[in-house]
Amino acid sequence: MNSRSRSEVRRCRPLLGTFVEITASGIDESGLTAAVDGAFAQITRVQALMSVHDEASEISRLNASAGLRSVKVSEETFAVLQHGLDIARASLGAFDFTVAPILAGWGLLPSHLRRRAHGTWCDVVLESGRRVRFACPLAIDLGGIAKGFAVDAAVASLRAGKAVSGSVNAGGDLRVFGPQASRIHLRHPVSAQPVPNSISLRNGALATSSSCFTRRQWRGQTVSHLVNTENRRAITEDLSVSVRAKECWLADALTKVVLNADPMLATHLLETYEAEAFILAA
Amino acid sequence: MPALVCSALPVHAVTYLTIEQAQAAIFPGRKLVSADVSLSKEQRKAIEKASDVRVRNLDLKVWKAEGGGWFILDEVIGKHEFITYAVGLTDDGAVKQIEVMDYRETYGGQVREEKWRAQFTGKKYGAKLKLDDDIQNISGATLSSRHIADGVRRLLATYEFALKK
Repeated sequence: MNSRSRSEVRRCRPLLGTFVEITASGIDESGLTAAVDGAFAQITRVQALMSVHDEASEISRLNASAGLRSVKVSEETFAVLQHGLDIARASLGAFDFTVAPILAGWGLLPSHLRRRAHGTWCDVVLESGRRVRFACPLAIDLGGIAKGFAVDAAVASLRAGKAVSGSVNAGGDLRVFGPQASRIHLRHPVSAQPVPNSISLRNGALATSSSCFTRRQWRGQTVSHLVNTENRRAITEDLSVSVRAKECWLADALTKVVLNADPMLATHLLETYEAEAFILAA
Repeated sequence: MPALVCSALPVHAVTYLTIEQAQAAIFPGRKLVSADVSLSKEQRKAIEKASDVRVRNLDLKVWKAEGGGWFILDEVIGKHEFITYAVGLTDDGAVKQIEVMDYRETYGGQVREEKWRAQFTGKKYGAKLKLDDDIQNISGATLSSRHIADGVRRLLATYEFALKK
């Protein structure tokens, strides 16, 4: 056994509704184990704050009350909301985390997120003192960005734990750091087999959005977790969009921009954020 | 030439932890004593009713931790995945930690790549038309951990009806 194989820790836990795999290497094993445990703790914290499936989460509290009065939130939730609004503004609403009532209407999110009227990202008001208010009845689901944010938080924790290199993969939304480049395979949108071309990733993130595995029939129509923000219908094409960016929250959000925005605008935003998109299409 | 994906099954298989490593990860420094359980028909019925999950296996691999707590080894089978995992419970039956020990994914059939094209915006990357022997990183098609969530619910009911004293 060489010293390299001895000094890698690799763990997997069910979190964020998927499997989160964390690897770390470069220091002694007890240091790595502590770093990996700390990284999982960060993901658990983000999940506890931002899951709409947990009625005790901060985001659930926000959805219940922010239409009535402003609600103070944690630094993390405020940061994700700021990031989300930045991308929503820049993409003219191609990314919009207020589509939750639509998804709830299709039975894909808890029914308490249903709303009669449809607000948009423009109705989410961030105030000083980390307070959040909704200008009309709406509900937020951070699913399109919080998973990436959790990955980033876990990577920061691994680095703080002095790991030299490592990776965090939350069901395909992933980020790597360290001197070595990793090769990432994209999953085929229909068969789920990895496609032969691999993408090189070094100190960066890759996130993928595809409706192929989540779409289902709902009262005679095909629905999916991805919403066309223009016509508010489900995106159901055999399409898989992956984005490579510096941070995972950004890669995660930009996949929805590429799916929804005008191609010229999407290309411009990818350049602005120094990101690239990889599209597997029929 | 159309590329064909003909990777050997399983597509993706990883072993994270052996039983001993999982025990040490969940109950560091604690001694564990084997305490396997065979469920009776009545227990099975009660567990299924309480958890709303089918009990496929009546023989449970269980360890009791010194000073309190339980370590349970379990498996779940999804449409395409087969997962061995361990659940640590505190002495009063709350989930302490879950560790995936072994993960295998299989997809039948082959894919004809010619129907698909890859488009790239931004810079192009150097295409590398080779499947790695050991595919460690796969992005896309988020796999649901719902089966594990169901499994954990079944094990919590198992604690209630078969482990709790």
